[in-house]
Amino acid sequence: MKTIERYAVPIFLVVMALLPHLLDSRWQAVAITFLIFSVVALSQDIILGKSGMFNMGQALFFGMGAYITAILNSQFGWPLLATIPLAILVPALFGILLAGPIVHLRGDYLLVVTIGFNIVFVQVVQNNLGGVTGGPNGIFGLDALSLFGRQLTSQVSVYYFAFAVLLLTLWIMRNLEKSKAGRALHYLREDQLAAESIGINTRIYKIFAFGLGAGIAGLAGTVYATQYAAVSPEAFEFIQSVLFFSIVLVGGSSVPGILIGVFVMFVLPEIFREFATWRFFIFGFAMILAMILRPRGIWPATFGKIPKFLIKETNHGA
Amino acid sequence: MAHNELILSNVTKRFGGLTAVDALSFKVEEGQIYGIIGPNGAGKTTVFNCITGIYRSEEGSVNWRGEEIRGLTPYQIVDRGIVRTFQTIRLFSQMSVAENIMSGRHIKSKQGWWNGIFHTPASRRDEMDNWKKVEEQLDFFDLSEFAATPTGSLAYGIQRRVEMARAMAVDPTLLILDEPAAGLNDKETLGLLETIFKIRDKGVTVLLIEHDMDMVMEVTDYLTVINFGKKIAEGTPEQIQQNPAVIEAYLGSEDDDDE
Repeated sequence: MKTIERYAVPIFLVVMALLPHLLDSRWQAVAITFLIFSVVALSQDIILGKSGMFNMGQALFFGMGAYITAILNSQFGWPLLATIPLAILVPALFGILLAGPIVHLRGDYLLVVTIGFNIVFVQVVQNNLGGVTGGPNGIFGLDALSLFGRQLTSQVSVYYFAFAVLLLTLWIMRNLEKSKAGRALHYLREDQLAAESIGINTRIYKIFAFGLGAGIAGLAGTVYATQYAAVSPEAFEFIQSVLFFSIVLVGGSSVPGILIGVFVMFVLPEIFREFATWRFFIFGFAMILAMILRPRGIWPATFGKIPKFLIKETNHGA
Repeated sequence: MAHNELILSNVTKRFGGLTAVDALSFKVEEGQIYGIIGPNGAGKTTVFNCITGIYRSEEGSVNWRGEEIRGLTPYQIVDRGIVRTFQTIRLFSQMSVAENIMSGRHIKSKQGWWNGIFHTPASRRDEMDNWKKVEEQLDFFDLSEFAATPTGSLAYGIQRRVEMARAMAVDPTLLILDEPAAGLNDKETLGLLETIFKIRDKGVTVLLIEHDMDMVMEVTDYLTVINFGKKIAEGTPEQIQQNPAVIEAYLGSEDDDDE
């Protein structure tokens, strides 16, 4: 496992860094989608995978970030990159406010409530709230990226923007793993009563997970709005949330598992496009098989990230 | 700060029509190994749940160091130095022994929530200091060889030790053990006795529930016997052994001893 990590991570990063120069524009667009959806799936993993909360509304936070970017750009003329702080903070704040009253709910109830939130969000933007969300058609004609006064109109620059956001997300996930807060999420997922009895305020950390997951998804929304220079309600429907939920379950709550999950759910369907309707049939079965054969995901979460000096004798578990 | 004493007065806990704990009072003094015994279903674990904040008793008071702690949440009570283990072991079974013990350091760690997003030199230092504390517990409970092993795959007796190590990682003032000898063999029980004495020698007060009478008589300084949620006797082990009410409560329940 360690050797895989040592080689696979640099290789993955190098390949991803070179990728847009190897692809034509259609596949560049697919690659950008892969990056964006990976970020959203990782943000969902913080809530669902790490903390074990059945959140079925991640597309809400994703969409909220995208809409904030679109509204600030089209209505107020903010440059796209300048919208990032608000596209992170507003969904994060919403995540905290929405989570506050519901995190104590048992898994299945939480799931239903988050579905409700997602549906309400889509209804609100469809009905053109405050006249700024553009109704069912959404918002069109956003500006291109610009950095230090230079226009970056090419798809390649959007790709690198998305790639930078993915790297930032991976960096945060890594920091989370090695922190008190990240461990608290694992503890409360494994046994909430034991976590409380050892001194963890589980409610605060659940809300923290929602806030962090929502903020990252909001940032992914900015990239999404940039890619299409547009946003529309149907991209953030409840069914999208179902996809992100399935990715974390099927992939397993680990970074490689989630990247594989996103690849399987979003990139493979593009590759097998000629099979048209058959692909969903096949992917449905692939999901069912994956869950039966590997109930903890294709690449399950691994624990045991403890400092080396603690491992003294033979490693029993390995 | 007031004396490290735990005083329960008239604690009553009802579940619907059933009174699980009925006007129970007792006092645990600093440095004691205090035992609570009673037949099955006597309400022992319910008493512990009322002390540690899992249940809130309807009446009475739970006073710790001069402060009323009835109604506080479990983590607030841990913050005041009272930590417990469970009769049915509750470990984080997919996580390693070291990570399980690290959970006990949660409340002592100075990291803020933002350190879950980015680290600072101070948070890195704090992280390392706490792992060092985990190492101390691994040594104390002789668990070093299992540091990286997921607890779910360990033998029962070792899991018990991990649970105690996790509780001790909090640096508690009062350690509450819920049937620590349940499921242990004779040799492991002997090791447990030694460990409990060592913990007391560190200045930690120990409050325990136990079913194994031989062990209770050997380890405790003072005992309260309860039956049907009521106190039927209290005293030193010698006094308890001669108490007719206790002998009566235990008659016929001798055979369901786990030995």
